[in-house]
Amino acid sequence: MNRALRWVYHGSRLVLGGLFLYAGALKAGDVTAFAQTIGAYRIFPPAGNILVAVTLPYVEILAGILLVLNARVRPAALLLGTLTSVFILVLLSVIVRGIEVNCGCFGAADKASPTTALARDAVLLLLAAATYRLRGQQQG
Amino acid sequence: MKENADNSFRRIALEAIVIAALGVLLGLSFHYRHVLEALEPKEAISPALYPAPVGLAEMQDLLDQGGVAVDARSREAFQEERIYGAVSLALGEAREALPGFMRRFPPETVLVVYCGGHGCPDSFDLAVRLLSAGYRDVRVFEGGLPAWRDAGLPVKEEE
Repeated sequence: MNRALRWVYHGSRLVLGGLFLYAGALKAGDVTAFAQTIGAYRIFPPAGNILVAVTLPYVEILAGILLVLNARVRPAALLLGTLTSVFILVLLSVIVRGIEVNCGCFGAADKASPTTALARDAVLLLLAAATYRLRGQQQG
Repeated sequence: MKENADNSFRRIALEAIVIAALGVLLGLSFHYRHVLEALEPKEAISPALYPAPVGLAEMQDLLDQGGVAVDARSREAFQEERIYGAVSLALGEAREALPGFMRRFPPETVLVVYCGGHGCPDSFDLAVRLLSAGYRDVRVFEGGLPAWRDAGLPVKEEE
């Protein structure tokens, strides 16, 4: 892999990992607020909101740490890519159903609209794909 | 070659699932109290302890007949503005304040509890508490302070 590609690889890995680590930590810090945010999406029953609120942040944190540490990069990128795809589906469903929600993606203070969040998720998906592919090339 | 690639993707996907499972376990163990609380079935309120809701007209009648308006909001909110003649019993301080309240008002007193209006659950919760404490006639004025004020009825504001 040439030098430029190596930079792209490390760049997307660090940005993707760092963003998810940050987003996960913000949400893990206040799971009650996060559960309320999830409740506004009207997808799960109340107990489901709590279960997702206490677990999702830690999945994000764990995968983020692995990416930052350059360990288990392809599984972590695959996991975050899959998560982001699910987020995109959820946001599309919100737009279709015409529900008003705050993204809550980066903690309760994140009041981004579904469309802004969709644009952000598209970038995240791109980063995950780049990380996954380039890691494969790096290993030859 | 093809078989190799399939195998390696399968391994990567498996590892991704393991990472996700570890994250879920971490979250559940850090916040197990939250989870237990959420899964616990809520205590059903017995019908005898179910406060009756009242509208604006009935609220006025009850107060005219000697009923007492009880403000379930915080003490600060009460100081700022309240239904004229209301007494403060903030839900958050109910445990400490209830004995004093009960010395002041005997159990046969008709109580009408209110808070910040529709969507504010404090008046209902406080009413259930007052019924369990032995009061026989406790109602909830669901419109709360906003409905009272909007009807042009007397409020007391901070001096």
